[in-house]
Amino acid sequence: MKMRRLRTPAATVLASLACFIVAAGRLSAAPGAQVVEIKGEIIDTWCYLSGVMGGPDAVVGSAHHTCALWCAAGGIPVGVKAEDGTVYMVLKVKGEDPLAQTDTIMELQSDSIVAKGQHYVRDGVNYLVVADVISNEGITNRNHEDFGVVPGFAIPEKK
Amino acid sequence: MTIKHILQLAAVASSVAVFAHGGVAEDFSNGSNASTFGLSGEQKATFSGKVVDILCELSGDCPENCGDGKRNLGIVRDADNALVMVSKNAQFEFNGGTDDLLPYCNKAVDVDGLLIGEDPGVKAKVYMLQLIRHKGETEWSKAERWGEAWKKRNPGADGEGPWYRRDRRVTKQIDKEGYLGLGLEIDKKWIAENQ
Repeated sequence: MKMRRLRTPAATVLASLACFIVAAGRLSAAPGAQVVEIKGEIIDTWCYLSGVMGGPDAVVGSAHHTCALWCAAGGIPVGVKAEDGTVYMVLKVKGEDPLAQTDTIMELQSDSIVAKGQHYVRDGVNYLVVADVISNEGITNRNHEDFGVVPGFAIPEKK
Repeated sequence: MTIKHILQLAAVASSVAVFAHGGVAEDFSNGSNASTFGLSGEQKATFSGKVVDILCELSGDCPENCGDGKRNLGIVRDADNALVMVSKNAQFEFNGGTDDLLPYCNKAVDVDGLLIGEDPGVKAKVYMLQLIRHKGETEWSKAERWGEAWKKRNPGADGEGPWYRRDRRVTKQIDKEGYLGLGLEIDKKWIAENQ
């Protein structure tokens, strides 16, 4: 079973170095933070980390999109799963708090993006304040073709 | 950026990584009455700490009343000063923990619940909050405030079925891009072939 990661030591250092190097520089680092660009998928962190709905490959992408919307609307932290597997907990998006009752996070859910922002690490958990989404390819992980929808009741049955 | 700058930044990154990963996760299960669910890396955990706005704790960006329900909240644990992110409350319909923590903003609390996550070296796994009380009180409150809070945030959303079938922000996205998020035509075709 693929390991769900909040971080790994080597990955964090390498990702941090890579991010330093690619940082465009216009965004100044806040105290205690580093400016980074993260390429990854917006995910529902609870289902991904807890395994409550199944394995990590099934609780992302199009298969899990509806549940990811439910969890975001329910106030469960949204994250960015980077290409190296590191999960960044999103604390703000484009100046909006994550639980503001707006559509910003909802519209990004399950999308493959490149986000630029401030990266904090504390007690092994990675946090990200997204200043800007500099590219968005939409949902590229079409894993419903492999897993169907997760959970199975995501699409209501016809009456 | 010069080589010197890159090396300096590398040194900072290394020191952050050592600090972040040097801690050994303690066992907080003694005295816990949390319900278990067999989740990944699940550990019962009861501990005392202070409820905080996570972004405030990390950055000093501190709105009144811990963001008044708009931010992710956590608990700075007394025993080891670890910042524990609360991801979930005790309800079973995709509910986060902020509504249950907000009345305790910047207050000392006792909590009971589950630490979740598979990385053994992570000092602060994410937390499923099940019970909470002011520190030292005898009576616990179940972490189940989300449902009532959602009703207050969504006047007029009464109806049959669970909240997630009626939530305005959820239905708006599904109406626009479908259950798979790939567009209504792809949805329609997949549903016809599979359901």
